[in-house]
Amino acid sequence: MREPLKGHAAGRSVALIDGIEKVTGRAVYTADMETPDCLVGRILRSPVSHGRIVRIDTARAAALEGVLAVVTGADCPHSYGVIPIAMNEYPLARGKVRYRGEPVAAVAARDARTAEQALELIELEIEELAASYTPEQSRAAGAELLHDDKPGNIEREVHDEFGDPAAGFAAAALVREATFKCAEVNHAQMEPHAALAEYDVSRDRLTLHSVSQVPFYLHLTLARCLDLDTSRIRVLTPFVGGGFGARTETLNFEIIAALLARKAGARVMLRLSREESFLTHRGRPDTEVSLKIGLAKDGRITAVQCQVVMSGGAYAGYGLVTILYAGALLHGLYHTPAVKYDGYRVYTNHPPCGAMRGHGTVDVRHAFECLLDRMARALGLDPFAVRRVNFLGAPTTTANGLLVNSYGLPECLDKVEAASDWRQRAGRMEAGRGLGMACSHYVSGAAKPVHWTGEPHAVVAMKLDFDGAVTVLTGASDIGQGSTTMVALAAAEILGIDLGRIRVVTNDSAITPKDNGSYSSRVTFMVGNAAIEAARALRAKLVAAAAKKLDANPDDIECAGETFFVPGGSQSALPFHDVALAALAEEGTITVKGTFTCPPEAQGGKHRGGAVGSTMGFSYAAQVVEVAVDVETGRITVEKVWAALDCGFAINPLAVEGQIEGSVWMGMGQALCEETRYTEGLAIHANLLDYRVPTIVESPEIEVQIVESIDPLGPFGAKEAGEGALSGFPPALVNAVADAIGLEADFLPLTPDRVLDALIKARRAARRKAAS
Amino acid sequence: MSNALPDFDLLRPQSVEEAVAALQTSPSARLCAGGTDLIVNMRHGLVELETLVDLGAVVAMKRLEADAAGLHIGAGVTLRDLAESEAVSESYTAIRQAALAVAGPGHRAVATVGGNLCLETRCLYYNQSHWWRKANDFCLKYRGETCHVAPTGNRCRAAFCGDLAPALMVFGAKIEIAGPNGIRRIALPDLYREDGADHLTLAACEIITAIHIAPSKAKSGYAKVRIRGAIDFPLAGVAIACERGSPSARSFRIAVTGTNSCPLLLDGPAPLADGDDPDAYFGALNKLVQKAVSPQRTTTTGAHYRRLAVAALAARLAKELVDG
Repeated sequence: MREPLKGHAAGRSVALIDGIEKVTGRAVYTADMETPDCLVGRILRSPVSHGRIVRIDTARAAALEGVLAVVTGADCPHSYGVIPIAMNEYPLARGKVRYRGEPVAAVAARDARTAEQALELIELEIEELAASYTPEQSRAAGAELLHDDKPGNIEREVHDEFGDPAAGFAAAALVREATFKCAEVNHAQMEPHAALAEYDVSRDRLTLHSVSQVPFYLHLTLARCLDLDTSRIRVLTPFVGGGFGARTETLNFEIIAALLARKAGARVMLRLSREESFLTHRGRPDTEVSLKIGLAKDGRITAVQCQVVMSGGAYAGYGLVTILYAGALLHGLYHTPAVKYDGYRVYTNHPPCGAMRGHGTVDVRHAFECLLDRMARALGLDPFAVRRVNFLGAPTTTANGLLVNSYGLPECLDKVEAASDWRQRAGRMEAGRGLGMACSHYVSGAAKPVHWTGEPHAVVAMKLDFDGAVTVLTGASDIGQGSTTMVALAAAEILGIDLGRIRVVTNDSAITPKDNGSYSSRVTFMVGNAAIEAARALRAKLVAAAAKKLDANPDDIECAGETFFVPGGSQSALPFHDVALAALAEEGTITVKGTFTCPPEAQGGKHRGGAVGSTMGFSYAAQVVEVAVDVETGRITVEKVWAALDCGFAINPLAVEGQIEGSVWMGMGQALCEETRYTEGLAIHANLLDYRVPTIVESPEIEVQIVESIDPLGPFGAKEAGEGALSGFPPALVNAVADAIGLEADFLPLTPDRVLDALIKARRAARRKAAS
Repeated sequence: MSNALPDFDLLRPQSVEEAVAALQTSPSARLCAGGTDLIVNMRHGLVELETLVDLGAVVAMKRLEADAAGLHIGAGVTLRDLAESEAVSESYTAIRQAALAVAGPGHRAVATVGGNLCLETRCLYYNQSHWWRKANDFCLKYRGETCHVAPTGNRCRAAFCGDLAPALMVFGAKIEIAGPNGIRRIALPDLYREDGADHLTLAACEIITAIHIAPSKAKSGYAKVRIRGAIDFPLAGVAIACERGSPSARSFRIAVTGTNSCPLLLDGPAPLADGDDPDAYFGALNKLVQKAVSPQRTTTTGAHYRRLAVAALAARLAKELVDG
């Protein structure tokens, strides 16, 4: 391991530079941007799960006083979708509806009540078709097809085999199998969806403000769906109140807002209710993981076999990537020489699933870490020992072709083992209390983007002008993860200047360079590297100007503390602003840019789908969870969590700590109480009472430790920090519950009713066993 | 998707008499105090009204006093003030615990005692948007023909989910009601009937103005079945007051919420007598609660669990009140 940088900016904890606006309420979010001339948009949604649209008559709605535009599927004949080979969704349903809540029409009116009245006047006639709500129903013989080109309602099957699993199982001392059922969850980001669209009829130009994590993809999709040249479109994202993957693809309401604005020739604000935000969905699918692991006597993994069935909802979205991720990231955490994977992404008549924090990996990792723990117990091994014997050695390439350049998992395990006092406490807890642990990992950006154009993966531009301020231009969306601050810290570090001299301008397609967006934890790695390169380019110009002024060799110039100087030289240091003016005198306003391109060796195996899961560097995490279980009510209390994450290098340790806490906490929500629920396809969870995100009351103390493995390709050695710690929580909790009360739970979430039910069944089974 | 409020007249009476008069101005007039229940329902399109009578300026209803006659709680007292009241903390633990169990601090700062007693019943087929209910052919409670919870039955099964009512009931609370015909007092259980669509016995234009509780030496507590430690309505809740007889004899008053369309003051159990086997006694108390309640599929959490959990909490709470 290289020594971490001891910089003046990078590596020091800094409160997020856009945090003041957020905590004081001054931050302007999309929904805050309403002006008096805004029309109000409302969406009419399908009341049925599956059906053929026989007739939509909007005449009465359009005739209502105060209604300026009504749009239906007829207004947009172009399908869209984030994966170029799976664009099977329309912003407003055409021909068929496939889930309850799918948009079928929309209106723009002078006020909300008029818009709502107009929705009531739209006549919608649908011929209902049989609906399927589970993969079993969808895959059953004779099931109604959601999409005619997808027989068996299978969106994507994946069958991969690496190494020799049969031989691995034959050589194993212990082989166990288990099936885990993990409920569907939603991001429940704090800010409900909203889009503000403005159409300039005289110039044929569209301006759209939205909540997107991927303004570039949104821009392309708007052009496609509205038949507009991309040059006629401007996309901006103001402050964004959380994403977690919900907004990593263009969403129907963004296109609908644009369609309404164009038809009305006006500004249209489309604010979705919490219910509609839930219905827009794109969450983590209901997933069944059937897992088989073979272990040698000492705990070495000899073979893995895994089948994953995901209930994907009604449209493709990111689905094929999700099912590929689920298999790909079986690799990369431990040495897994032989892995067989079978994945099935199945269409169902529910709102479409998509990407969610820990995309594709969380439920599979859950199953793996639970089963590994049980097998360790069966072999009489400590849960830490069984992980240690399976460590990878970096650099290495996994059986499926993933590059592992840095690997801080050993240190993560050491840290949480010591901090939790595991050796003294594990197995010696009082009745109803337990300790559990698990490991996890995640990619630092997909090494191959969804839209492969051959361009660099990230571009950052910087401008220096007469005022001596450095303006950083980036298309990376700060969705609360702290990317804007990260970019500023990277620039400040390289330029040797104060953070206050830097302004970061983000997400305006008219101003900022194209960026693929905030997904797959790519921003720190890719945009951070691009920012460093841009800052270096700017520094070179400043150093040249300083060298000229100091009559010195540029190679001898250093910059630090907002000055340029020759170390040990007799001349006084030049202030930054003086050097900036000298550089400006040469060429006027200075603009530079930096780029980052992922090296080909990081772009994954050559097999079909091999790019998914590939990355420049994996983050690694370990955590220990302590629980108390009330066996009379089934209620689980998380008493404390110890988490350690290898993020390569913490450019902003405070933000890293926050990201780890957030990951643990979100994992806790999925483990304890979050789940979507439907009755005949109708969402009954679509509010924050019934979709039970944990409150501060349930939030345990989380002791966070940062491990810095200094990745050779990462910016200052950094990797991702925002997702890796999530998927360790649910299995650590389940393992802790097993330690506490002996219950081996094969389900998520562990709601009190499920736990009590499982306990009652276990007691009955024990009684039956005793009787026989 | 509905969330725009309808047009209505907002009246702000200064006294109880003015409030009663204000209610008489329109047949659809509704009272509003903290608004934490009603306004949410209005935004869901569940309430049609022309007049909203805001009780915020009726100072007389905000009185909270303890004296030799017991406790007087104005219906306009906020749940926060109720929980912070010294008199309540000293002698009426269950009431304090129940008040603190409601929603979150922001709600409790504005939500009132009267509002909590008159809380609209709740059901997963009812507390939904207009679009949702329309897609599901509405329901018996509002604009529909069928109770989706119990389709073969002929009444609405929506559950009463106020935390405060059982805690007040175990202290024998009486409520004062003002109306066009003057003032009347009834025992709190008489405020309710077992009908989710019409669970309050208040007549037209009547207002609950205050709650009276006699002095009590009982030990008491409130336990709530919930998934999360805040925000959640009770999946079920149980309040118990325990009075001491001879050295080890105890009598219990038990009331339950969240399981039926109204809060229930249970008959029994027979007092715990000297020499009774405590385990058998509390086991029987558990069974008694299980039998008394009839939770339905009104929440995302199953009815059977709610029955088992509230009975377990009742037995545990009763035991704690004896032991503690």
